[in-house]
Amino acid sequence: MKKFFTKKLSIISFIFIPIIFLWHPNWLGFLGVQPYWPLFWLLPWSMINGSFNGLIFGLFLGLILDALTLDTNFTQIPGLIFCGFLFGRIKLHSNILIGHFRYGLFCSFGSFLCGSLYFLQILFKNSSDSISLMFIPGVKNILAEVFLTGFFAPFICSQLLRIFKFSRRIKH
Amino acid sequence: MLGNRRISTNRWWHKKKNWILVLIFLFLVFVRISKGSFYKNFYYFISKPFWPGQFQKEIVLESIDQEYLIKLNLLKKDNLRLRRILSLQESSNNENISAAVISRKTGSWWRQLILNKGGRDGVEIGNIVIGPGGLLGRINDTSLFTSSVTLITSPESKLAVWVDRSQINGLLVGLGDDHPSLILYSKDADIKVGDFVSSSPASTLLPPNIPIGIVQSIDETLRSKKTARILLLAQPQVIDWVQILKVSIE
Repeated sequence: MKKFFTKKLSIISFIFIPIIFLWHPNWLGFLGVQPYWPLFWLLPWSMINGSFNGLIFGLFLGLILDALTLDTNFTQIPGLIFCGFLFGRIKLHSNILIGHFRYGLFCSFGSFLCGSLYFLQILFKNSSDSISLMFIPGVKNILAEVFLTGFFAPFICSQLLRIFKFSRRIKH
Repeated sequence: MLGNRRISTNRWWHKKKNWILVLIFLFLVFVRISKGSFYKNFYYFISKPFWPGQFQKEIVLESIDQEYLIKLNLLKKDNLRLRRILSLQESSNNENISAAVISRKTGSWWRQLILNKGGRDGVEIGNIVIGPGGLLGRINDTSLFTSSVTLITSPESKLAVWVDRSQINGLLVGLGDDHPSLILYSKDADIKVGDFVSSSPASTLLPPNIPIGIVQSIDETLRSKKTARILLLAQPQVIDWVQILKVSIE
């Protein structure tokens, strides 16, 4: 049983992403905005398993998170698929310090990408009515999310990467 | 030698009684300058045990509540009668369900609450959710045990609202931040900071007269319309209990 859990740690941790997404701890936020949680899991997963796996799990994550949010007109799938694919092309860095810094940088970039794609969908949908009104709150949301995701990524991604590597070693 | 000693012992500052008098004088000067605040504060503390007690306060509050309730019922009856005369839509308030907030997303793009009452408890899509202060949003999805509320701050939310003072309709649009925007499709619309905004009698989604917010600022830069930033009365980021109104709009 213990071996089973150790082997499937990456999948078990995947299940917790929607829960954290729903939990939305306010004390962790900045300007009312939360870090973009799915990227913390997607980056180490894609780095270990490659672009194709990243793309597939980006799609899975998008499907789950879209199911949890009520916005039927907008989707998170394109951003997460793109991030999963891009993260899969990143190679691990030998230097710990630079490696950690890179996690922050890539997650910030991913968050910017996902946030911008989502914002573009909102702008496209509301093109006639309130495009000018939505611009400032939208930019604020994206920037706050980018900052928070980049800030927490080095701590969370490095730990998840270690867990995934360990789980993979046991599997083989 | 002896004479000198006698004179020095007779100086006024050598007598304790005189010093007491000086101190009393200074104290009275202080009382005069402070306009008796010392006494008033002192009185506050010594009279505290004799104040009207909590019990009396409760009686007074209860009476006030009863008075308001009676007034409210009279106004409701009046409102209903006038609506019938004017052939305006009515809202029949069948049932209210109290629910706790079990998940809250009030930042970023996704602005929603998840409540601990669902289809099993009779919650339906389209039901109205109010909290202390006023309208929070509408039920957009239900599961067996939970229901999800789209907040009025969500970019997906668009509602018809009513500016009470000038009696004009407008569109309340969520922008993805804490302050939705009121769009009035007339450059000459009469709106001021501090105006009260409630749900519109013309709305097909909401019952009329549910408090929503207050106009915080007005933007008149657009050519054909006026927009206003609305400060919401109900604060979704802190509310833990809400009421689901099972309202059918006739």
